[in-house]
Amino acid sequence: MSSSTSVGDLVSQPYKYGFVTDIETDKIDKGLSEDVVRLISSKKDEPQFLLDFRLRAYQQWLRMEEPDWAALRHPPIDYQEMIYYAAPRQQEKKASLDEVDPKLLETFEKLGIPLSEQKRLSNVAVDAVFDSVSIATTYREKLAEHGVIFCSISEAVKDHPELIERYLGTVVPSNDNFFAALNSAVFSDGSFVFIPKGVKCPMELSTYFRINSGDTGQFERTLIVAEEGASVSYLEGCTAPMFDTNQLHAAVVELVALDDASIKYSTVQNWYAGDENGVGGIYNFVTKRGHCRGDRSHISWTQVETGSAITWKYPSCVLQGAHSVGEFYSVALTNNRQQADTGTKMVHVGPHTRSTIVSKGISAGHSSNSYRGLVQIGPKARGARNYSQCDSMLIGDQAAANTYPYIRSQQPEASVEHEASTCRISADQLFYLQSRGIGFEEAVSMMVSGFCRDVFNQLPMEFAAEADKLLALKLEGSVG
Amino acid sequence: MVAAMSNSAAVAASTWVTSFLERLPAPAGELEAVQWRGREALSRQPLPSRRQEDWRFTDLAPLTALAPAPASSSAQGSWPAPAADVFRLWLDDSDDLLNGQSLPAGLGLLSSDEVQQALGHTLAACNCEQHWPVELNQASATRVLALRVSGAVAPTLELVSQAAEDSVMRPVRVLLLLEEKASLEVLQIQLGSACSLSSLVMEAHLGRESTLRHGLLALGEGQACFLGHLAVEQEPRSHLESVWASHGWALSRFEPRVVQVDGEATTTLKALQVAGGQQVVDTHSRVEFRGPEGQLDQLHKAIADDRGRSVFNGAVKVPRAAQRTNASQLSRNLLLSNQARIDTKPELEIVADDVRCAHGATVSRLQTDELFYLQSRGLSAAVAAGLLKRGFCEEVLRALPAAAAAWRPLQRMLGEG
Repeated sequence: MSSSTSVGDLVSQPYKYGFVTDIETDKIDKGLSEDVVRLISSKKDEPQFLLDFRLRAYQQWLRMEEPDWAALRHPPIDYQEMIYYAAPRQQEKKASLDEVDPKLLETFEKLGIPLSEQKRLSNVAVDAVFDSVSIATTYREKLAEHGVIFCSISEAVKDHPELIERYLGTVVPSNDNFFAALNSAVFSDGSFVFIPKGVKCPMELSTYFRINSGDTGQFERTLIVAEEGASVSYLEGCTAPMFDTNQLHAAVVELVALDDASIKYSTVQNWYAGDENGVGGIYNFVTKRGHCRGDRSHISWTQVETGSAITWKYPSCVLQGAHSVGEFYSVALTNNRQQADTGTKMVHVGPHTRSTIVSKGISAGHSSNSYRGLVQIGPKARGARNYSQCDSMLIGDQAAANTYPYIRSQQPEASVEHEASTCRISADQLFYLQSRGIGFEEAVSMMVSGFCRDVFNQLPMEFAAEADKLLALKLEGSVG
Repeated sequence: MVAAMSNSAAVAASTWVTSFLERLPAPAGELEAVQWRGREALSRQPLPSRRQEDWRFTDLAPLTALAPAPASSSAQGSWPAPAADVFRLWLDDSDDLLNGQSLPAGLGLLSSDEVQQALGHTLAACNCEQHWPVELNQASATRVLALRVSGAVAPTLELVSQAAEDSVMRPVRVLLLLEEKASLEVLQIQLGSACSLSSLVMEAHLGRESTLRHGLLALGEGQACFLGHLAVEQEPRSHLESVWASHGWALSRFEPRVVQVDGEATTTLKALQVAGGQQVVDTHSRVEFRGPEGQLDQLHKAIADDRGRSVFNGAVKVPRAAQRTNASQLSRNLLLSNQARIDTKPELEIVADDVRCAHGATVSRLQTDELFYLQSRGLSAAVAAGLLKRGFCEEVLRALPAAAAAWRPLQRMLGEG
């Protein structure tokens, strides 16, 4: 088929969030040592238990090796060449947004994240994290009326130390893996959400992560606790400026759902992915895990991964409570030289637990996109069910799509089904759409969004539209 | 504590290999050079550990409990008499592999020069010549059955190997070269009992438009262990159908590896493995397409009962050159007891964009509605379950070469004597 209207002819749209905000930053010296861990803790004025937690994690990290089993290739990361704490220089967290450095507000405006509440139309509360610190959280008072706590984790440590002590590190222990241990030792900020018993969170909660400094690693930590019967929907977004060096992002997200609680966690990840030759971009090594601790609890992960030079991320569910439900919906798109090794783990512990996995991988350019999943059915998970589907779409003959689903079952009264397929944008489908008067690139984007529909349907509405556009944008220039 | 344990495990693993090497007689015979190489490699490479991804789910304890050494075989067991269209070879350790028989038309022994040239070629092409079970075989095998196949061979070639005494190791090495348009049906019977170890390495090179139907029936008992390796290179328009069934081994691991060197070939793999008692049964298959328009149809079935463990790892590689590949893989598992365990892991690596690749996996017990249906027709629960298990097994067993029926695989697998 001749593609006279090849998307390849279109000017490839640059990464529009690649600007750097020129703001005075308070950084510590690069390198990692026990003193650095103590320094971070003292800068944040933390209680003893948290310092002990960090130091224990640091000791564990020293004894661990970087995992090498993923289908990823990157030059060795020098952990001593990185800055572990960077904060925009401003006074203590402001009581009102008027006092926040206007440059910061402007940065977030530019990113499309308005922090000034009067400008907000939609009902979303936002926590904005800039490098290592949270700079503003909106709608806090309104949420407080319902008993919902939504703040940065640093504030939570000061204001609700008992909650932090009770839940931090209970889902992802500090020695869980290399990057989780690193994060536990040096995490700087992140969001904390607590939904008390029986409360349905009145609005969507959202955190926006922004890396600004070129030599800083971002290590945020998110903890969401939903008590009995509570429910919450949480969105996470992220961008970074364009540098030709690689920055490390090693986050830990922990979700705890008690009896009848429900947590929906959505991510639209748009870190800087490096240029078409693979120079620069974020190394994203993230540990995300939800623990369905209570009976009939429900945790759902939805992710749209389009950024990062490297993605190493497996949002997981430990289904402990009887009749608890875990879900994972993912679209991972890689283009140019991006590499993604992503998937999920569903660990069925309790009886009658159910899980669904829908993963869609799109690989274009010279990228490599792997789905790696584990479905584990423990001996007590009577009547457990899992259904997994992972589909790959290949665009061009240089991209790789790998699928590694692990299934382990120890319970005869459980059933596990897995299916996977691979397809491409077929010439006859394209021809059909074009013959109906639909432009080439629009046809491609229609087919891609059709391929991803099962996942987009799970996203909150504003996000779904955004994700759709994001994919079309990222794919420009790769078909033709 | 953990470090101390893994250290002692590493020491135990290297002692096992060292004492194994000490029990081997001095290298001699036509495979002397290969034996030297294998021993050298083993001395550098202790037992695979569970920290290696390929061995993660495979507990080698049943193997390390053995102290095997190659020994010549005593009398053969009570085997079914071969049918008229079956040419049987008993692969014991005697000097004359043919036992004085003459080969049927179309089969010929390779000269020792040809063996030198061809042996290990396919293993290297499949990238597994340094694989631990292969080295174990190379270190100990003194004979190779090396056959050239030209034209269509009428009778089924039946290769029987038996290890029936304690501390006996039976290494079998087979090399088949199928010339253009040749066709052959091979049935391998591996029998093991007592505390014995059977090791099999088979290489086959399929010339253009040739056809190999390969069946492997591995029937074990007691503490016997089996390590098998099949490496096949397929030239364009060749056909491979390999069917394998394993039952009764304390530890059984089979690794078929197929490379379609220039695409355009068809590969059919079918397997049935049954793990009962405390048995571990493992299949690690790997199919690689190095050219366009290759086809793969793979079905792997497993039953785990009692405290058995079944492992399946099926890798399919479709690089850029392999456009228009059509590959499908299905792993179906029956988990019949609370203490049994199933691990299954398909592995697809695809770089070409114009391909159809699908895989699926299921793990469950017998379907309750099917059981209910049979019971509603007046069958007892036990008979109904037996019937369903039978159907599950037969799908694979029926694909074995017809000569396999004499060995009564279905009855053995279902425990009906």
